[in-house]
Amino acid sequence: MFLWAWKSLFSQRSTLLGSSLGIAGAFILVLFFDAVFRGESEQIVAYPEHMNPDVWVMQAGVGNMHMASSYIWDWKMDVIAAMPEVERVTPILYFANIVEARGSKLFAFVVGLPSGEHRAGPWEMSAGRRITGKGEAVIPAVLSRITGIGIGDTMRITDHDFRVVGLSRGTYSSANPVIFVTLDDLADILSAEGTYSYLLVDAKEGVSPKQLAEGIRRTVEKVNVLTTEELVANDFGLAMQMGVEIIFMMTMICSALAALIVGFSAYSLVARKQRELAIVKALGGRRGALVGSVVLQAVIVALLGYLLAVVFALLVIPQVPLLVPQLSLVVSIGDILQMGVVALLVAVIGAVIPASLVLRLDPALAYQV
Amino acid sequence: MNEPVLRASHLTRIYGSGRTAVRAVDDVSLTIPPGELVIVMGPSGSGKTTLLSMLGGLLRPTSGEVVINGTVITELDEDRLPVVRALEIGFIFQAFNLLDALTVEENILFPARLREGGVAAARPRAKELMSRLGLAHRRCALPRTLSGGEKQRVAIARALINEPKLILADEPTGNLDSRTGQEVLMILHDIARDEGRAVVLVTHDPRVEDMADRILWLEDGHLRDRNEVHHWARDPVCGMKVDEWTATLISEHEGQRYFFCSPRCKARFDAAPGEWTGG
Ligand SMILES: Nc1ncnc2c1ncn2[C@@H]1O[C@H](COP(=O)(O)OP(=O)(O)O)[C@@H](O)[C@H]1O
Ligand SMILES: [Mg+2]
Repeated sequence: MFLWAWKSLFSQRSTLLGSSLGIAGAFILVLFFDAVFRGESEQIVAYPEHMNPDVWVMQAGVGNMHMASSYIWDWKMDVIAAMPEVERVTPILYFANIVEARGSKLFAFVVGLPSGEHRAGPWEMSAGRRITGKGEAVIPAVLSRITGIGIGDTMRITDHDFRVVGLSRGTYSSANPVIFVTLDDLADILSAEGTYSYLLVDAKEGVSPKQLAEGIRRTVEKVNVLTTEELVANDFGLAMQMGVEIIFMMTMICSALAALIVGFSAYSLVARKQRELAIVKALGGRRGALVGSVVLQAVIVALLGYLLAVVFALLVIPQVPLLVPQLSLVVSIGDILQMGVVALLVAVIGAVIPASLVLRLDPALAYQV
Repeated sequence: MNEPVLRASHLTRIYGSGRTAVRAVDDVSLTIPPGELVIVMGPSGSGKTTLLSMLGGLLRPTSGEVVINGTVITELDEDRLPVVRALEIGFIFQAFNLLDALTVEENILFPARLREGGVAAARPRAKELMSRLGLAHRRCALPRTLSGGEKQRVAIARALINEPKLILADEPTGNLDSRTGQEVLMILHDIARDEGRAVVLVTHDPRVEDMADRILWLEDGHLRDRNEVHHWARDPVCGMKVDEWTATLISEHEGQRYFFCSPRCKARFDAAPGEWTGG
């Protein structure tokens, strides 16, 4: 019986292939959007993740970086720097705003670094040099490629002009390209002399991030202290949250689409094989076995589509950023496995109507010439 | 006396309802002992297929009862019928009805899933049937590569795989040329004689008359025994006597049926019926 279901299905290769491709298309859409959101989300935490100090110190009540603003007095840095557990403190100023370059406006994370200080980024240069003085900026290499602003060109942040002196790698996402300028320039822009936004604190050997965080909390008032892990988790969670609902909707719509395709192809298989199904019934095919074979066919079609989508996701999606550098895509194995479960559900749902058609089929049809 | 393989009593099947109702089979009773070859003849639309479908448990009668090997199959529900269809009855159809995607051997073994020991236990039997029916060399062939005669032999092997006591064959030679058809009829005859199986055979083929134990005539849903009635007709063209029961050349004209001895006479009649009916 299942041999027959299997062989019948594979004897209609074009139906099988067409349906599987349709289902694969639906699943690929979901995986692609998922990869986009995941890639964006990971890119949003690229800066804190790469800086990776033991702890971050920020204004009390602030718990993340993305779209946040934080101000703490500069003397608090001196207090922390004087603590015995502390090896090094690096201050940054930070704000998220629109930057103008060559007539186009872009949203960006602007990080102000102390002159000559490299602890707070950029972590990898692809061209040019790091900033050494006022009026200089390092922008993401991808941003340079998209906008055409190269080294030596000018860009504007609020009412200040900056000259691009270097291009950095790994600092681009469409939600937050990271631009580095000097701390002094950013303090000018923000009228924020005497304050910092975040402190990157590294511990002495033998002191764990948790211990360090505890120590700072005891010593300094009105600040929030987070390990890099915690800060990254907060930002990543926020970013994913923005995408989650959209991904969920996409998954639902595409799964419904896939179920429709499965249902349609299973239905057309059943409709086309009505006579054979009647013969199977006449020869003693049981209802359970008939329904089983319809479900089996639907499962094969859906799983084939799913496998095609997975192969696509694993082979093709990682290549996309090479062609479209502004996209950063991350394929998650967990999500792929989850989709496998969705594919099975889709198959079962798609098989319901064809299965009921099979059950109602008149075995006397076998006698018709 | 032997327990009958098949006993049908007062079988009636009405298609549709009200004004459009058709009594396809009307109060047919029939008993068939083991080893008997029964031929059912009758004009097209007389209810032969409907009768056979009911005897095989593929169609529920409007009223009446079918008993196969002591089981009242007309009382079985949809869950218990498949076993009877698979084990007690061998079906042979005019359209062969092989499963396209399966090989000759897989087709033959298909009904064996429900029998004791399953497909594995049936393999020796399949092998024996294939060699007996001259199919051994086509074991792995797909149905679409077979000739009509081969297809029907595969269908016969499939009908015999579970050694049912009852074979139901509906115009098994209808799609075959006359020589191949003759071969198939001989096989069915041997099955009844050598293996003691009851065979109910619907056919138009006049050559089977000699090999049948009994010939039944079905007309407008009623069953009559051949020996009780004679149905002689006269070819309106040449005046020859033609047996209505076995005639295959038939034309209708103004509600009247005309029987012919040869295609030539039929063609002449069809060209200008009025000339031959005196109307
Ligand atoms: N499924 C059906 N629905 C309605 N009428 C049917 C159906 N099957 C057969 N009939 C009618 O029943 C009568 C007998 O048909 P059938 O058993 O196929 O005759 P035969 O096999 O002798 O040619 C015919 O008048 C036919 O039109
Ligand atoms: Mg018929």
